[in-house]
Amino acid sequence: MKKIPIIIGLFAVIAAIVISSSCATTSDIASAKSGAQLWGENCLRCHNTPSPETFSDTEWDVAVMHMRVRANLTENEATKIAEFLKTAN
Amino acid sequence: MKNRIKQVALLVLVGFSTLAIAQQDTAIQVKSTLDMQVAQLPPAVVNDWKPGKSRFLLRGYSHSGLEITEEEISFVGGSFNPLLLFRQSDRLLFEGELEMELEGGETHIGLEYANMSYLLTDALTLRAGKFLVPFGTFVPNLHPAWINKFPSRPLGAGHDGIMPGSDIGIELRGAAYLGPVKTNYSVYAINGPQLNSGDIEAEEGGVLHYALVPDNNKDKTIGGRIGFFPMSNSALEIGISGLYGKVGDKDSKYEDVAAMLYAVDMSYVRNLPGISSVLDIKAQYTAVKVEDAEYPEPDEPGETHTFDNSSTTWFAQLSLRPAFVENKFFQNLEVAGRYSKLTTPEGAPWEVDQDQWEIGLNYWLDWRTLFKFSYRTISGEAGGHGGEEAEGGGDAFFIHWAIGF
Repeated sequence: MKKIPIIIGLFAVIAAIVISSSCATTSDIASAKSGAQLWGENCLRCHNTPSPETFSDTEWDVAVMHMRVRANLTENEATKIAEFLKTAN
Repeated sequence: MKNRIKQVALLVLVGFSTLAIAQQDTAIQVKSTLDMQVAQLPPAVVNDWKPGKSRFLLRGYSHSGLEITEEEISFVGGSFNPLLLFRQSDRLLFEGELEMELEGGETHIGLEYANMSYLLTDALTLRAGKFLVPFGTFVPNLHPAWINKFPSRPLGAGHDGIMPGSDIGIELRGAAYLGPVKTNYSVYAINGPQLNSGDIEAEEGGVLHYALVPDNNKDKTIGGRIGFFPMSNSALEIGISGLYGKVGDKDSKYEDVAAMLYAVDMSYVRNLPGISSVLDIKAQYTAVKVEDAEYPEPDEPGETHTFDNSSTTWFAQLSLRPAFVENKFFQNLEVAGRYSKLTTPEGAPWEVDQDQWEIGLNYWLDWRTLFKFSYRTISGEAGGHGGEEAEGGGDAFFIHWAIGF
Protein backbone atom coordinates (compact mmCIF):
# COMPACT_ATOMS: atom_id res chain seq x y z
CA MET A 1 0.00 0.00 0.00
CA LYS A 2 2.55 2.54 -1.13
CA LYS A 3 -0.28 4.91 -2.06
CA ILE A 4 -1.58 5.26 1.50
CA PRO A 5 0.31 8.55 1.94
CA ILE A 6 -1.49 9.88 -1.12
CA ILE A 7 -4.90 9.25 0.36
CA ILE A 8 -3.83 10.62 3.73
CA GLY A 9 -2.70 13.75 1.94
CA LEU A 10 -6.03 13.91 0.18
CA PHE A 11 -7.87 13.82 3.49
CA ALA A 12 -5.60 16.53 4.87
CA VAL A 13 -6.53 18.78 1.95
CA ILE A 14 -10.21 18.05 2.46
CA ALA A 15 -9.94 18.78 6.18
CA ALA A 16 -8.24 22.09 5.46
CA ILE A 17 -10.97 23.10 3.08
CA VAL A 18 -13.71 22.05 5.47
CA ILE A 19 -12.17 24.21 8.18
CA SER A 20 -11.75 27.15 5.85
CA SER A 21 -15.21 26.79 4.39
CA SER A 22 -16.93 28.45 7.33
CA CYS A 23 -15.50 31.79 6.28
CA ALA A 24 -15.39 31.35 2.51
CA THR A 25 -18.78 30.29 1.25
CA THR A 26 -18.70 32.77 -1.59
CA SER A 27 -16.31 34.96 -3.51
CA ASP A 28 -16.50 38.27 -5.34
CA ILE A 29 -16.94 36.40 -8.61
CA ALA A 30 -19.73 34.24 -7.24
CA SER A 31 -21.46 37.19 -5.59
CA ALA A 32 -21.55 39.04 -8.89
CA LYS A 33 -23.27 36.18 -10.69
CA SER A 34 -27.03 36.24 -11.21
CA GLY A 35 -29.34 33.36 -10.41
CA ALA A 36 -29.83 32.76 -14.12
CA GLN A 37 -26.07 32.56 -14.66
CA LEU A 38 -25.59 30.15 -11.75
CA TRP A 39 -28.55 28.07 -13.03
CA GLY A 40 -26.86 27.77 -16.41
CA GLU A 41 -23.39 27.03 -15.08
CA ASN A 42 -24.26 24.51 -12.38
CA CYS A 43 -27.17 22.54 -13.84
CA LEU A 44 -25.56 22.13 -17.24
CA ARG A 45 -22.54 20.44 -15.74
CA CYS A 46 -24.52 17.19 -15.41
CA HIS A 47 -27.77 17.64 -17.34
CA ASN A 48 -29.76 20.10 -19.43
CA THR A 49 -30.86 23.24 -17.65
CA PRO A 50 -34.35 22.68 -16.24
CA SER A 51 -37.20 24.81 -17.47
CA PRO A 52 -38.43 27.10 -14.66
CA GLU A 53 -41.97 26.07 -15.60
CA THR A 54 -41.29 22.48 -14.58
CA PHE A 55 -42.26 22.95 -10.93
CA SER A 56 -44.24 25.28 -8.70
CA ASP A 57 -42.45 27.57 -6.25
CA THR A 58 -43.07 25.09 -3.45
CA GLU A 59 -41.70 22.20 -5.49
CA TRP A 60 -38.64 24.20 -6.51
CA ASP A 61 -37.82 24.63 -2.80
CA VAL A 62 -37.50 20.85 -2.54
CA ALA A 63 -35.76 20.31 -5.88
CA VAL A 64 -33.17 23.04 -5.30
CA MET A 65 -32.45 21.83 -1.75
CA HIS A 66 -31.91 18.37 -3.20
CA MET A 67 -29.52 19.74 -5.81
CA ARG A 68 -27.75 21.82 -3.17
CA VAL A 69 -26.79 18.53 -1.51
CA ARG A 70 -26.20 16.42 -4.62
CA ALA A 71 -24.43 19.02 -6.76
CA ASN A 72 -22.54 20.60 -3.86
CA LEU A 73 -23.95 24.10 -4.22
CA THR A 74 -23.17 26.74 -1.63
CA GLU A 75 -26.07 28.30 0.26
CA ASN A 76 -25.60 31.52 -1.71
CA GLU A 77 -25.73 29.71 -5.06
CA ALA A 78 -28.77 27.63 -4.12
CA THR A 79 -30.70 30.69 -2.91
CA LYS A 80 -30.00 32.64 -6.09
CA ILE A 81 -30.92 29.72 -8.34
CA ALA A 82 -34.18 29.12 -6.46
CA GLU A 83 -35.11 32.80 -6.68
CA PHE A 84 -34.47 32.81 -10.41
CA LEU A 85 -36.55 29.67 -11.01
CA LYS A 86 -39.46 31.01 -8.95
CA THR A 87 -39.36 34.36 -10.71
CA ALA A 88 -39.22 32.84 -14.16
CA ASN A 89 -41.82 30.06 -13.77
CA MET B 1 -35.43 -3.95 -41.72
CA LYS B 2 -33.14 -1.45 -40.01
CA ASN B 3 -34.21 1.32 -42.42
CA ARG B 4 -37.88 0.70 -41.64
CA ILE B 5 -37.19 0.90 -37.90
CA LYS B 6 -35.37 4.20 -38.38
CA GLN B 7 -38.26 5.61 -40.46
CA VAL B 8 -40.84 4.68 -37.83
CA ALA B 9 -38.65 6.13 -35.08
CA LEU B 10 -38.30 9.44 -36.92
CA LEU B 11 -42.08 9.69 -37.42
CA VAL B 12 -42.59 9.11 -33.69
CA LEU B 13 -40.05 11.83 -32.91
CA VAL B 14 -41.78 14.40 -35.09
CA GLY B 15 -45.17 13.56 -33.55
CA PHE B 16 -43.92 13.92 -30.00
CA SER B 17 -42.22 17.25 -30.78
CA THR B 18 -45.46 18.79 -32.10
CA LEU B 19 -47.40 17.53 -29.08
CA ALA B 20 -44.82 18.92 -26.60
CA ILE B 21 -44.96 22.44 -28.11
CA ALA B 22 -48.78 22.48 -28.02
CA GLN B 23 -48.83 21.36 -24.37
CA GLN B 24 -46.37 24.09 -23.37
CA ASP B 25 -48.58 26.84 -24.85
CA THR B 26 -51.66 25.47 -23.05
CA ALA B 27 -49.78 25.35 -19.72
CA ILE B 28 -48.82 29.04 -19.97
CA GLN B 29 -52.47 30.02 -20.63
CA VAL B 30 -53.73 27.96 -17.67
CA LYS B 31 -51.16 29.48 -15.30
CA SER B 32 -52.12 32.99 -16.32
CA THR B 33 -55.81 32.25 -15.67
CA LEU B 34 -55.02 30.72 -12.27
CA ASP B 35 -52.92 33.73 -11.24
CA MET B 36 -55.89 36.01 -11.95
CA GLN B 37 -58.29 33.78 -9.98
CA VAL B 38 -55.98 33.61 -6.95
CA ALA B 39 -55.60 37.40 -6.94
CA GLN B 40 -59.37 37.72 -6.50
CA LEU B 41 -59.54 35.41 -3.44
CA PRO B 42 -59.66 36.79 0.15
CA PRO B 43 -56.21 36.59 1.92
CA ALA B 44 -57.58 34.17 4.54
CA VAL B 45 -58.49 31.64 1.86
CA VAL B 46 -55.09 31.97 0.22
CA ASN B 47 -53.37 31.44 3.58
CA ASP B 48 -55.31 28.20 4.10
CA TRP B 49 -53.49 26.78 1.08
CA LYS B 50 -50.09 28.20 1.96
CA PRO B 51 -47.59 25.34 1.98
CA GLY B 52 -45.91 24.32 5.23
CA LYS B 53 -42.21 23.75 5.73
CA SER B 54 -42.50 19.98 5.26
CA ARG B 55 -42.71 19.33 1.55
CA PHE B 56 -42.73 16.19 -0.57
CA LEU B 57 -41.68 15.78 -4.19
CA LEU B 58 -41.78 12.67 -6.35
CA ARG B 59 -39.13 12.57 -9.01
CA GLY B 60 -37.22 9.84 -10.78
CA TYR B 61 -36.72 8.38 -14.21
CA SER B 62 -37.55 5.46 -16.45
CA HIS B 63 -36.18 4.01 -19.64
CA SER B 64 -36.68 1.14 -22.05
CA GLY B 65 -35.95 0.43 -25.67
CA LEU B 66 -35.11 -1.83 -28.55
CA GLU B 67 -31.78 -3.65 -28.73
CA ILE B 68 -30.50 -5.25 -31.91
CA THR B 69 -27.60 -7.72 -31.77
CA GLU B 70 -26.39 -10.46 -34.11
CA GLU B 71 -28.38 -13.02 -32.11
CA GLU B 72 -31.65 -11.23 -31.46
CA ILE B 73 -33.86 -8.17 -31.77
CA SER B 74 -35.61 -7.48 -28.50
CA PHE B 75 -37.53 -4.81 -26.70
CA VAL B 76 -35.98 -4.51 -23.25
CA GLY B 77 -37.75 -3.43 -20.11
CA GLY B 78 -35.14 -1.00 -18.91
CA SER B 79 -36.02 0.25 -15.48
CA PHE B 80 -38.29 2.50 -13.44
CA ASN B 81 -36.58 4.46 -10.69
CA PRO B 82 -38.89 6.52 -8.47
CA LEU B 83 -37.04 9.10 -6.37
CA LEU B 84 -38.80 10.32 -3.26
CA LEU B 85 -37.73 13.64 -1.78
CA PHE B 86 -39.00 14.87 1.57
CA ARG B 87 -37.94 18.28 2.78
CA GLN B 88 -38.55 17.92 6.49
CA SER B 89 -37.39 21.46 7.32
CA ASP B 90 -35.13 24.17 5.94
CA ARG B 91 -32.14 22.07 6.97
CA LEU B 92 -33.28 18.44 6.81
CA LEU B 93 -33.83 16.50 3.59
CA PHE B 94 -34.56 12.84 2.87
CA GLU B 95 -33.87 11.26 -0.51
CA GLY B 96 -34.70 7.69 -1.44
CA GLU B 97 -34.54 5.97 -4.81
CA LEU B 98 -35.80 2.54 -5.77
CA GLU B 99 -34.72 0.67 -8.87
CA MET B 100 -37.28 -1.62 -10.46
CA GLU B 101 -36.21 -3.60 -13.49
CA LEU B 102 -37.13 -6.67 -15.47
CA GLU B 103 -34.62 -9.52 -15.48
CA GLY B 104 -35.36 -12.91 -16.93
CA GLY B 105 -39.10 -12.37 -16.80
CA GLU B 106 -39.07 -11.29 -13.16
CA THR B 107 -39.28 -7.85 -11.64
CA HIS B 108 -36.38 -7.00 -9.38
CA ILE B 109 -36.64 -4.18 -6.88
CA GLY B 110 -33.52 -2.70 -5.37
CA LEU B 111 -32.79 0.14 -3.01
CA GLU B 112 -30.50 2.45 -4.95
CA TYR B 113 -30.11 4.82 -2.00
CA ALA B 114 -31.97 6.16 1.04
CA ASN B 115 -30.41 8.81 3.23
CA MET B 116 -31.01 11.99 5.11
CA SER B 117 -29.00 15.17 4.79
CA TYR B 118 -28.67 17.86 7.43
CA LEU B 119 -27.32 21.25 6.36
CA LEU B 120 -24.83 21.97 9.16
CA THR B 121 -23.50 25.27 7.78
CA ASP B 122 -23.71 27.19 4.54
CA ALA B 123 -20.92 25.05 3.14
CA LEU B 124 -21.15 21.76 5.00
CA THR B 125 -23.80 19.03 4.91
CA LEU B 126 -23.95 15.84 6.95
CA ARG B 127 -25.39 12.87 5.09
CA ALA B 128 -26.21 9.49 6.66
CA GLY B 129 -27.71 6.32 5.28
CA LYS B 130 -27.24 4.61 1.95
CA PHE B 131 -25.87 7.05 -0.61
CA LEU B 132 -24.14 7.09 -3.97
CA VAL B 133 -20.46 6.98 -3.12
CA PRO B 134 -18.81 10.21 -4.33
CA PHE B 135 -16.10 8.37 -6.20
CA GLY B 136 -15.32 9.85 -9.62
CA THR B 137 -18.11 11.41 -11.62
CA PHE B 138 -20.00 8.74 -13.57
CA VAL B 139 -21.73 6.83 -10.78
CA PRO B 140 -22.69 9.76 -8.54
CA ASN B 141 -23.62 12.21 -11.31
CA LEU B 142 -24.06 10.72 -14.77
CA HIS B 143 -25.60 7.25 -14.52
CA PRO B 144 -29.37 8.08 -14.56
CA ALA B 145 -30.80 7.07 -17.91
CA TRP B 146 -31.99 10.58 -18.77
CA ILE B 147 -28.50 12.00 -18.05
CA ASN B 148 -26.35 9.21 -19.47
CA LYS B 149 -25.80 9.99 -23.15
CA PHE B 150 -25.97 6.30 -24.07
CA PRO B 151 -28.18 3.30 -23.21
CA SER B 152 -25.11 1.43 -21.94
CA ARG B 153 -22.47 2.37 -19.39
CA PRO B 154 -18.71 2.73 -19.62
CA LEU B 155 -16.86 -0.54 -18.99
CA GLY B 156 -16.36 -1.15 -15.28
CA ALA B 157 -19.07 1.29 -14.21
CA GLY B 158 -22.07 -1.03 -14.09
CA HIS B 159 -23.65 -2.70 -11.08
CA ASP B 160 -21.13 -5.52 -11.43
CA GLY B 161 -18.23 -3.20 -12.18
CA ILE B 162 -14.96 -2.53 -10.40
CA MET B 163 -15.90 0.81 -8.84
CA PRO B 164 -18.30 1.51 -5.98
CA GLY B 165 -21.93 2.41 -6.58
CA SER B 166 -23.86 3.10 -3.40
CA ASP B 167 -22.96 2.09 0.14
CA ILE B 168 -24.07 2.66 3.72
CA GLY B 169 -22.31 5.10 6.00
CA ILE B 170 -21.92 8.75 6.92
CA GLU B 171 -20.53 11.62 4.92
CA LEU B 172 -19.58 15.28 5.21
CA ARG B 173 -19.87 17.19 1.95
CA GLY B 174 -20.15 20.72 0.68
CA ALA B 175 -18.64 23.49 -1.38
CA ALA B 176 -16.59 26.62 -0.71
CA TYR B 177 -14.38 29.14 -2.45
CA LEU B 178 -10.61 29.30 -2.13
CA GLY B 179 -10.26 32.85 -3.33
CA PRO B 180 -11.68 32.87 -6.85
CA VAL B 181 -11.56 29.07 -7.20
CA LYS B 182 -14.65 27.11 -6.29
CA THR B 183 -14.12 23.73 -4.67
CA ASN B 184 -16.41 20.94 -3.60
CA TYR B 185 -15.49 18.18 -1.21
CA SER B 186 -16.65 15.04 0.44
CA VAL B 187 -15.22 12.78 3.12
CA TYR B 188 -17.01 9.65 4.26
CA ALA B 189 -16.90 6.37 6.17
CA ILE B 190 -18.79 3.40 4.70
CA ASN B 191 -18.94 -0.38 5.12
CA GLY B 192 -16.87 -0.61 1.96
CA PRO B 193 -16.15 -3.39 -0.52
CA GLN B 194 -15.87 -7.03 0.50
CA LEU B 195 -13.30 -9.45 -0.86
CA ASN B 196 -14.49 -12.65 -2.47
CA SER B 197 -12.21 -15.35 -1.06
CA GLY B 198 -13.06 -17.81 -3.80
CA ASP B 199 -13.94 -20.50 -1.23
CA ILE B 200 -17.42 -20.97 -2.74
CA GLU B 201 -16.72 -19.92 -6.33
CA ALA B 202 -13.01 -20.20 -7.07
CA GLU B 203 -13.50 -18.28 -10.32
CA GLU B 204 -14.44 -15.21 -8.27
CA GLY B 205 -11.43 -15.27 -5.92
CA GLY B 206 -10.02 -11.76 -5.49
CA VAL B 207 -13.10 -9.92 -6.76
CA LEU B 208 -14.41 -6.97 -4.76
CA HIS B 209 -18.17 -6.81 -4.13
CA TYR B 210 -19.88 -3.56 -3.21
CA ALA B 211 -22.87 -2.53 -1.09
CA LEU B 212 -23.15 -5.83 0.80
CA VAL B 213 -24.85 -5.83 4.20
CA PRO B 214 -23.84 -6.52 6.91
CA ASP B 215 -20.17 -5.59 6.84
CA ASN B 216 -17.72 -8.51 6.92
CA ASN B 217 -15.37 -6.93 9.47
CA LYS B 218 -15.08 -4.15 12.04
CA ASP B 219 -12.98 -1.96 9.80
CA LYS B 220 -14.69 0.95 8.04
CA THR B 221 -13.66 2.12 4.61
CA ILE B 222 -12.62 5.77 4.52
CA GLY B 223 -12.81 7.84 1.37
CA GLY B 224 -13.15 11.28 -0.06
CA ARG B 225 -13.31 13.41 -3.16
CA ILE B 226 -12.27 16.96 -3.85
CA GLY B 227 -13.17 18.93 -6.96
CA PHE B 228 -11.73 22.17 -8.30
CA PHE B 229 -13.22 24.69 -10.72
CA PRO B 230 -10.22 26.60 -12.04
CA MET B 231 -12.28 28.69 -14.50
CA SER B 232 -14.43 31.55 -13.25
CA ASN B 233 -17.48 30.33 -15.23
CA SER B 234 -17.26 26.86 -13.62
CA ALA B 235 -16.97 25.28 -17.08
CA LEU B 236 -14.13 22.99 -16.01
CA GLU B 237 -14.16 20.68 -13.01
CA ILE B 238 -11.26 18.44 -12.04
CA GLY B 239 -11.83 15.90 -9.28
CA ILE B 240 -9.66 13.51 -7.30
CA SER B 241 -11.17 10.62 -5.33
CA GLY B 242 -9.69 8.06 -2.99
CA LEU B 243 -10.98 5.18 -0.90
CA TYR B 244 -9.16 2.81 1.50
CA GLY B 245 -10.20 0.00 3.81
CA LYS B 246 -9.80 -3.63 4.79
CA VAL B 247 -11.90 -5.92 2.65
CA GLY B 248 -11.34 -9.45 3.99
CA ASP B 249 -13.67 -11.41 6.27
CA LYS B 250 -12.98 -11.08 9.98
CA ASP B 251 -11.21 -14.13 11.48
CA SER B 252 -10.27 -15.42 8.05
CA LYS B 253 -6.80 -15.52 6.49
CA TYR B 254 -7.88 -12.48 4.47
CA GLU B 255 -8.76 -10.27 7.47
CA ASP B 256 -5.71 -8.02 6.98
CA VAL B 257 -6.12 -7.67 3.22
CA ALA B 258 -6.86 -4.07 2.29
CA ALA B 259 -7.88 -2.35 -0.91
CA MET B 260 -7.22 1.10 -2.19
CA LEU B 261 -9.06 2.81 -5.01
CA TYR B 262 -8.44 6.17 -6.55
CA ALA B 263 -9.91 8.10 -9.45
CA VAL B 264 -9.31 11.27 -11.40
CA ASP B 265 -12.25 12.81 -13.21
CA MET B 266 -12.92 15.87 -15.30
CA SER B 267 -15.88 17.68 -16.76
CA TYR B 268 -15.83 20.49 -19.30
CA VAL B 269 -19.08 22.05 -20.46
CA ARG B 270 -19.28 25.28 -22.42
CA ASN B 271 -21.24 27.09 -25.08
CA LEU B 272 -19.61 27.44 -28.47
CA PRO B 273 -21.20 30.60 -29.94
CA GLY B 274 -19.43 30.10 -33.27
CA ILE B 275 -21.44 26.97 -34.00
CA SER B 276 -24.42 27.76 -31.71
CA SER B 277 -23.78 24.58 -29.73
CA VAL B 278 -23.08 23.19 -26.28
CA LEU B 279 -19.95 21.09 -25.93
CA ASP B 280 -19.83 18.53 -23.11
CA ILE B 281 -16.71 16.50 -22.32
CA LYS B 282 -16.45 14.01 -19.46
CA ALA B 283 -13.64 11.66 -18.49
CA GLN B 284 -12.63 9.45 -15.58
CA TYR B 285 -9.69 7.19 -14.75
CA THR B 286 -10.07 4.62 -11.96
CA ALA B 287 -7.50 2.31 -10.41
CA VAL B 288 -8.16 -0.49 -7.92
CA LYS B 289 -5.43 -2.24 -5.94
CA VAL B 290 -6.10 -5.14 -3.56
CA GLU B 291 -3.20 -6.40 -1.43
CA ASP B 292 -1.70 -9.71 -2.47
CA ALA B 293 -3.36 -12.87 -1.20
CA GLU B 294 -3.64 -16.57 -2.07
CA TYR B 295 -6.88 -17.74 -3.66
CA PRO B 296 -8.14 -21.27 -4.50
CA GLU B 297 -7.06 -22.56 -7.88
CA PRO B 298 -10.26 -23.07 -9.94
CA ASP B 299 -9.09 -26.14 -11.83
CA GLU B 300 -7.02 -27.81 -9.10
CA PRO B 301 -8.89 -28.36 -5.81
CA GLY B 302 -6.64 -27.88 -2.78
CA GLU B 303 -4.14 -25.75 -4.67
CA THR B 304 -3.87 -21.98 -4.45
CA HIS B 305 -2.61 -19.24 -6.71
CA THR B 306 -1.94 -15.54 -6.50
CA PHE B 307 -1.76 -12.61 -8.89
CA ASP B 308 -1.24 -8.87 -8.87
CA ASN B 309 -4.78 -7.83 -7.98
CA SER B 310 -4.79 -4.49 -9.80
CA SER B 311 -7.54 -3.25 -12.10
CA THR B 312 -7.99 -0.07 -14.07
CA THR B 313 -10.74 1.43 -16.13
CA TRP B 314 -11.20 4.75 -17.87
CA PHE B 315 -13.60 6.46 -20.18
CA ALA B 316 -13.82 9.66 -22.15
CA GLN B 317 -16.99 10.98 -23.76
CA LEU B 318 -17.88 13.96 -25.87
CA SER B 319 -21.24 15.31 -26.94
CA LEU B 320 -22.26 18.28 -29.03
CA ARG B 321 -25.75 19.77 -29.21
CA PRO B 322 -26.60 22.69 -31.50
CA ALA B 323 -28.98 24.03 -28.87
CA PHE B 324 -28.86 27.64 -30.09
CA VAL B 325 -29.61 27.22 -33.79
CA GLU B 326 -32.96 28.60 -34.92
CA ASN B 327 -34.38 25.36 -36.33
CA LYS B 328 -36.33 23.65 -33.52
CA PHE B 329 -35.67 20.16 -34.85
CA PHE B 330 -31.91 20.55 -35.09
CA GLN B 331 -31.60 22.34 -31.73
CA ASN B 332 -32.93 19.18 -30.06
CA LEU B 333 -30.42 16.88 -31.73
CA GLU B 334 -27.23 15.79 -30.00
CA VAL B 335 -24.31 13.73 -31.24
CA ALA B 336 -22.20 11.80 -28.75
CA GLY B 337 -19.24 9.47 -28.65
CA ARG B 338 -17.60 7.53 -25.83
CA TYR B 339 -14.59 5.26 -25.44
CA SER B 340 -13.97 3.11 -22.39
CA LYS B 341 -11.39 0.51 -21.45
CA LEU B 342 -11.32 -2.06 -18.66
CA THR B 343 -8.34 -4.12 -17.52
CA THR B 344 -8.60 -6.55 -14.61
CA PRO B 345 -5.73 -8.63 -13.15
CA GLU B 346 -3.67 -10.70 -15.54
CA GLY B 347 -3.69 -14.33 -14.40
CA ALA B 348 -6.96 -14.01 -12.49
CA PRO B 349 -9.87 -16.29 -13.52
CA TRP B 350 -11.87 -13.10 -14.11
CA GLU B 351 -9.24 -11.43 -16.27
CA VAL B 352 -10.69 -8.81 -18.61
CA ASP B 353 -9.02 -6.67 -21.21
CA GLN B 354 -11.72 -4.91 -23.19
CA ASP B 355 -12.30 -1.80 -25.24
CA GLN B 356 -15.72 -0.31 -25.90
CA TRP B 357 -16.77 2.32 -28.42
CA GLU B 358 -20.19 3.94 -28.41
CA ILE B 359 -21.49 6.48 -30.88
CA GLY B 360 -24.93 7.97 -30.68
CA LEU B 361 -27.51 10.42 -31.96
CA ASN B 362 -29.98 11.70 -29.38
CA TYR B 363 -33.18 13.66 -29.82
CA TRP B 364 -34.46 15.67 -26.84
CA LEU B 365 -38.23 16.06 -26.50
CA ASP B 366 -37.70 18.36 -23.54
CA TRP B 367 -34.87 19.00 -21.08
CA ARG B 368 -35.23 15.57 -19.45
CA THR B 369 -36.80 13.30 -22.07
CA LEU B 370 -34.93 11.86 -25.01
CA PHE B 371 -34.63 9.19 -27.64
CA LYS B 372 -31.20 7.60 -28.02
CA PHE B 373 -30.00 5.93 -31.21
CA SER B 374 -26.61 4.40 -30.58
CA TYR B 375 -24.19 1.79 -31.81
CA ARG B 376 -21.81 -0.03 -29.48
CA THR B 377 -18.86 -2.25 -30.30
CA ILE B 378 -16.71 -4.17 -27.82
CA SER B 379 -13.42 -5.89 -28.46
CA GLY B 380 -10.95 -7.81 -26.32
CA GLU B 381 -11.02 -10.59 -23.75
CA ALA B 382 -14.00 -10.91 -21.39
CA GLY B 383 -13.32 -12.87 -18.24
CA GLY B 384 -16.75 -12.73 -16.69
CA HIS B 385 -16.55 -9.96 -14.07
CA GLY B 386 -16.94 -6.31 -14.84
CA GLY B 387 -16.84 -6.97 -18.57
CA GLU B 388 -19.75 -7.33 -20.93
CA GLU B 389 -19.75 -11.12 -21.29
CA ALA B 390 -22.63 -11.52 -18.87
CA GLU B 391 -24.78 -9.09 -20.86
CA GLY B 392 -24.18 -10.69 -24.21
CA GLY B 393 -21.39 -8.32 -25.18
CA GLY B 394 -20.45 -7.81 -28.79
CA ASP B 395 -21.75 -5.25 -31.22
CA ALA B 396 -25.23 -3.87 -30.72
CA PHE B 397 -27.55 -1.18 -32.01
CA PHE B 398 -29.87 0.50 -29.51
CA ILE B 399 -32.99 2.62 -29.80
CA HIS B 400 -33.82 3.70 -26.27
CA TRP B 401 -36.11 6.29 -24.74
CA ALA B 402 -35.60 7.77 -21.31
CA ILE B 403 -37.65 10.17 -19.26
CA GLY B 404 -36.74 12.04 -16.12
CA PHE B 405 -39.53 13.47 -14.03
